[in-house]
Amino acid sequence: MFNFNRLITLLFALAFIAGGCKKGTSTASSTAGERVVNVCSWSEYLPQDVRDAFTAKTGIKVNLTLYESNEMLLDKLQTGVADLDLVVPSDYTVAILKRQNMVQKIDASKIPNWRNLDPRLMGRAYDPQNEYAMPIFWGTTGIGFNRQALGNVDSWSVMFDEKNAGKILMLKDSRECLAAALKLMGKSINEKDPAVLRQAGEMLKNQKRLVKVYTSDDFDQTLGRGDVMLAHGFNGQLAKLVATDKAKFGYVVPKEGATMWIDAFCIPAKAKHVAEAHEFLNYLLDAKVGAQLVNSVSYASSNTAARAEIKPEILNDPAIYPPDDVIKRCEVMEDVGDPTMDLIDKIWQEVMVK
Amino acid sequence: MKAEGRNNRGVGKGGAAALRSVAGLVYLFLYAPILVLVIYSFNRSVQTAKWLGFTPRWYAQVLRDHELIESARNSLLIAAVTTLTATAVGTLAGLALARLGEKRGAATKGLLYLPIVIPEIVVGAALFTFFVSLQWELGFWTIVAAHVSFSVSYVAIVVRARLAGFDRTLEEAARDLGAGPAGVFWRVKFPLMLPGIVAGALLVFTLSIDDYVITSFVAGVKTLPLLIYAKLKINATPETNAISTLLLAVTIAMIAVAQWLLRKR
Amino acid sequence: MNRRTWIPRLQLLPTWLVLGLFFLAPMFIMLGISFREKGPAGTIRPVENVKQYVAQGKFLHNYRESIDPIYAGVYWRSLWVAVATTAICLLVGYPVAYYIAIVANPRRKNLLLAMVAIPFWTSFLVRMGAWKLILGTQGVLNTMLGGVGMSPLDLLYTPGAVLTGLVYGELPFMILPLYASLEKMDRSLLEAAADLGAGARQRFRRVTIPQTMPGIVAGVILVFIPAAGQFVVSDILGGSKGALVGNIIQEGFQRNKPLKSAIAFELTLVVGLMLAAYGWYVRSRKAEG
Repeated sequence: MFNFNRLITLLFALAFIAGGCKKGTSTASSTAGERVVNVCSWSEYLPQDVRDAFTAKTGIKVNLTLYESNEMLLDKLQTGVADLDLVVPSDYTVAILKRQNMVQKIDASKIPNWRNLDPRLMGRAYDPQNEYAMPIFWGTTGIGFNRQALGNVDSWSVMFDEKNAGKILMLKDSRECLAAALKLMGKSINEKDPAVLRQAGEMLKNQKRLVKVYTSDDFDQTLGRGDVMLAHGFNGQLAKLVATDKAKFGYVVPKEGATMWIDAFCIPAKAKHVAEAHEFLNYLLDAKVGAQLVNSVSYASSNTAARAEIKPEILNDPAIYPPDDVIKRCEVMEDVGDPTMDLIDKIWQEVMVK
Repeated sequence: MKAEGRNNRGVGKGGAAALRSVAGLVYLFLYAPILVLVIYSFNRSVQTAKWLGFTPRWYAQVLRDHELIESARNSLLIAAVTTLTATAVGTLAGLALARLGEKRGAATKGLLYLPIVIPEIVVGAALFTFFVSLQWELGFWTIVAAHVSFSVSYVAIVVRARLAGFDRTLEEAARDLGAGPAGVFWRVKFPLMLPGIVAGALLVFTLSIDDYVITSFVAGVKTLPLLIYAKLKINATPETNAISTLLLAVTIAMIAVAQWLLRKR
Repeated sequence: MNRRTWIPRLQLLPTWLVLGLFFLAPMFIMLGISFREKGPAGTIRPVENVKQYVAQGKFLHNYRESIDPIYAGVYWRSLWVAVATTAICLLVGYPVAYYIAIVANPRRKNLLLAMVAIPFWTSFLVRMGAWKLILGTQGVLNTMLGGVGMSPLDLLYTPGAVLTGLVYGELPFMILPLYASLEKMDRSLLEAAADLGAGARQRFRRVTIPQTMPGIVAGVILVFIPAAGQFVVSDILGGSKGALVGNIIQEGFQRNKPLKSAIAFELTLVVGLMLAAYGWYVRSRKAEG
């Protein structure tokens, strides 16, 4: 009943095909001593063509894993068993990683293109000597909104307004959501006072039934699809959406102020491919590659040399490259210390389970 | 045996018609999303369900996607290794349990049922904690270990069920006819077990290739489900639809091939 | 050791090794962690004085924290979603299994079965993604409704969406065991019952259901357990209020391993108890039968 002859024939055929296929699909060589760099990054940052071009140029394969929030990235690194050579934490997370000795110094001498870095982003609180982090993108966190449905938006209050029940999207990020509440309360996003934090937490808990969905990945798509009318999100992705239909969508950094974030590359302490990591960093700081990145992801970059080749509509977009008055009302997130982080975790858990 | 008899079906003509309608609706329910999948894998629009025109570009994108091809390769490799290992271990266990009987096999039976009755997320979390505690680096083999650990049970249970009604007299008859113990095994017991082994192996392969939950906890390399999940989160829907349609086509092709292998000359 | 049993026992060795190392050991370690306290930034606080720690009942503090009323809503929701999914799958799956096993043309059986199993071979995640496409505000369903002049319905990111996704994913696991049981059923019993004057409903209740109990039990177990612990469907389709036990365990697991481990074990316990209760119920019905 079971035809063995046919099975043998089939297996031989498959082996033949498989043998032929292997040559076709391998990009970098599969020999021992294959060079790789394992990167863990935010969803949109490293488009495929940039990674492939790097591999074509240096023979180093780029393995990309994604994280959705800084807390998720911390999770991965804290296990001590993730094999990562480069990570892209935000400002305050860099400080936490330094505190916990989870990152090693970057050797700027191995990165000739280091001089392309924007001085405005250097010497920040989280890394005063610029030893552990290489800034790559920066931007703001604000509100993307459907102009046709809601008219003009300029305040965080819309995100907490009954009238917009079921039409709101918030980031799945404890500190970002608290930042929105804190700003509406007129406080700093780096508030440490437990009483104030708890109050902000209460605001979030009351807001929950107005929120349709919490996500940090496809907030722009969800707004674009019409599933929500207001999306708490990061400027780059939202600016991209607005650019597709300026009459329908808008992005604003609310008048009460908001977060200005700086994402930077760090090398984990246990990284195994440090040389490859440095090569990749240098590659990203190249003028042309830098421009390619910005044109693709629509986030402002730390690479000054890239400006020449960035599309003018991006360079002149106030959502992506905000003017000074906007920057003035923004704050960069700082490391608030473990006890406060524990309280924030607890508050967030309470919001999530409501 | 012909389906005669006045009320052999338990339902009259009206009942049969009702059942047919219900079944029809359920099949519709099962396949509607798949139809949507296949159709929208050709949609020009990226996000909305509005039909913006036919385009095969997503398939071109899939076939050019190195990361995707590599993830698929990883998944296949993991599934293959898992299937071989779990089938071997599980078959031995099924054999042994059938031989030992209820009382002596009780502890093992209990052990084998545990991975099935404990929710996947608990198993995944436990394995994650285990590897971290041992500072065992997450990579290809941690995934294989995890997959094997939950797969052995399925094979063992299926093989044991297959041997449940095994007629000892067959064994005795074979021995009377002069077969040695090896002959008895390979010519009597094994052919009987084979459908169970194959069924178990197929089940293990299927479970391993599409596993997301446990793999998400213990993975070090990218597997296909992990990649699909990441893409879904960024909402690259048409591409994931194309991937799925391709998988469906491959599966149907495999079933057709299996039929070809099983057909009599 | 008995001469006849040393070979089988040897054959069981690999199973015990594999499961012992990659199943039992991890479970024990996680149990141990559920008794510890979380340290700063995802570490686990070392215990100075073990005797004192146990004596003061501190080792249960994660379990105490997990029954904090704030979690009550999530637990309750997870329970009813799992039960509802199982019930719907049973109610919908039984007629289909009955149809394939008994009513349909016997030559079509394999095809019909294969058709139930084939969706199973498309990625589960992508099928959930398809539901996102179908249920969205500008999704397939709403586009069709718009075509006949109706206003769009709020379908995605609701408990209904989660239920739909779950039932959709689990249905084959209910239909297949039911089919296996129905197929093996001795139909002459139905004839006999009819001859004795039993009506269709009676025959179903007193012959078919008891005869297919093993299939029903298997189906219920295969649907209920994954449904109770799942987090993928609620993550993709659930929205802000869709969080279930699985989501709570999975999110931030690394940062608070002790608490999440405790919740995981409680989930296991509840599922185990419900299975045991169900098994007891079935056996007592059989005794009456």
